[in-house]
Amino acid sequence: MNHEEILQNLADSVISGDEEKAKDFAKKALEAGIDPLTAINEGLMRGMSQVGDDFSKLKIYLPEVMMAAEAMKAALSILEPAALQKGTGTLKKSKVVIGTITGDIHDIGKNIVAMLLRANGFEVYDLGRDVPIDDLIKKAEEVGADIIAASTLLSTSMPYMEDLISLLKERGLRDKYIVMVGGGPVTREWAASIGADGYGDDGEEAVKVAKELLQRVKGK
Amino acid sequence: MNSIWEVIDKAETGPYMEERDFDLKVVAKKCRELVKEYEIRFDPNEIVTTDDSMADDVYEAGMRLALEAGIYCINTKRIIKFDESEIKEGILSAPKELVIGQGRDSRVLYARGIEDSRRPIICGGQAGAAIPEEWYLPMSISYMKEPLIDMINNGGLAIVEGRKVRTNTPLEIQATRRELTMLREAAARAGRPGISFIAGESSVSVLGDLAIASERYMRPSDAHLVALLNELKTDYDRISKVVNFTEYGAFNVTLVDPIIGGYAGGPEGVAVCFIASFLLGRAMYRSEYHVCHPIHFRYMSTSAVECMWNLNIVGQAMARNAPFIIMGDVWTSAGAGSEMIFYEIGANTITNVVTGTHPLGVSATNGKYPHASGLETRFMAEVAVAAVRSKLNRKGANDLVVKLASEYKDKMGKPDIGRPFPELYDVNRVIPKPEWNALYLSMKKKISELTGLDI
Repeated sequence: MNHEEILQNLADSVISGDEEKAKDFAKKALEAGIDPLTAINEGLMRGMSQVGDDFSKLKIYLPEVMMAAEAMKAALSILEPAALQKGTGTLKKSKVVIGTITGDIHDIGKNIVAMLLRANGFEVYDLGRDVPIDDLIKKAEEVGADIIAASTLLSTSMPYMEDLISLLKERGLRDKYIVMVGGGPVTREWAASIGADGYGDDGEEAVKVAKELLQRVKGK
Repeated sequence: MNSIWEVIDKAETGPYMEERDFDLKVVAKKCRELVKEYEIRFDPNEIVTTDDSMADDVYEAGMRLALEAGIYCINTKRIIKFDESEIKEGILSAPKELVIGQGRDSRVLYARGIEDSRRPIICGGQAGAAIPEEWYLPMSISYMKEPLIDMINNGGLAIVEGRKVRTNTPLEIQATRRELTMLREAAARAGRPGISFIAGESSVSVLGDLAIASERYMRPSDAHLVALLNELKTDYDRISKVVNFTEYGAFNVTLVDPIIGGYAGGPEGVAVCFIASFLLGRAMYRSEYHVCHPIHFRYMSTSAVECMWNLNIVGQAMARNAPFIIMGDVWTSAGAGSEMIFYEIGANTITNVVTGTHPLGVSATNGKYPHASGLETRFMAEVAVAAVRSKLNRKGANDLVVKLASEYKDKMGKPDIGRPFPELYDVNRVIPKPEWNALYLSMKKKISELTGLDI
């Protein structure tokens, strides 16, 4: 099997959400002498990019995206340590702490954004639903996040997003993080009015904005 | 016999499962298997279907999902399971007719059939929206003064006494009570003192709901919404709402809103999930009636083609097999003050009334902006009445819905969000401003000509 075939199989294993195949071809890539970073970028990431495109066209749905992310994680558990050992460096992944904010238990929209961010190479810490703003900040501090992202479907949980920004300011941490908000009742105008850095009308836009902001604000 | 007490028992003692496993190994897996087994197919050119056997297949698949999956209780991580006899008891005991509202303003809300020739009940309001406190009263009056509107489901308050309401805090109590106080005042001023409400929208947690179980706010002839969480889930806040209203004696209404693109899959899987949700919602909440609200993962709007197909197939499947009283939501991407909203209302409303649901809306801009008024809901009512009066059948309805959808479906990503209520209405006299009224008249003429309906 030549290198291109192995990379294609890695991409396919992600697209089909096949964890075993992903691990198998991650090992095969290393055995064949493919650079681990090449395997990640030209195999796994290529597959994930296809997954993102298919989801945006409703050819596949959230569970398939979740399974693809799991397959990618399984392959990364083999490829990343190999990259470190080889000294070629690891993927410099941007980190996002995300959650459905206080008072709200609606999490499917947030799950979609989290999955699409993962599919686009972000390291995502998903704190779940009804997440206190303090927990978002603590986690961001703990993992050295680049972005804090908050979602809600409830207009009465939107003020907690303002509180998040206020608390970051109070603690002198505002400039340290990109803050993104979104969800059913959240509008672009409102996001700007509370001083959020970014807003996504849907998952796709959230990923696009996250990438743009990282480049503009953090030079990543 | 299954009551709310037994439901609480089941929530405490049912099989334990991690939530992710329920999402992926139960809901996602079973929806896919059932769609494949029953060969359920969505066709964007047949938004209103005439295939009775597909409607029956969707129903049968939904019944199997209900029995196999049950409802996941988030607080206890346990599954509330119902057996076939309990679900069938829920179907048999479901009301086919209800008297809602009081006195002259009361109406008989009924289980609509397919191509039903009876006048549908029209529920007006911008449900789901956060409406500014200062406009809430005139905006509510704008709906209630419309003679074709039979009942009200307006949005909630996100600000009360100039203070932002935060979920699960004391202000939620005040916001919910203020909402009801203003709805009562609006009903009196509009000369509709007995009009029935679906209300308490400001009550996101159980706090507000507990605070309005009093004749001063909600009457037993009114209703509140109790959601099923996505997908096939509930929690103690929802169950507490049911306990409260069951003991108070007002109506429980199950809000079912599966997401197309979410755990249930595409339009076909969501249709199966809808049926299971209605059947389980009835068994669990003992709801007297139900709201059908498919959500599009990107546009949200019920006027999206995939969502209207869902309203259609679910409405027909239920009407043929388990005739519940179901309201079909009319949520548009566009806002009041735009041309686009009239096309969306037209397509969505025709779909609903021909396939077994009463229209509930118009929640313009999907409730994102308070860009709504009584006038576009008048149009929704006029379309509904015209469709029934013209004895529109499913084939004819599909032709019109496809035609209307072609006018807006490519614009849903960047809709015209229209204008806020005070720019559309004279808020003191509560009448549409001339420009908004002229647009309404011209669009009514245009859509009458396009569809051949006498709107």
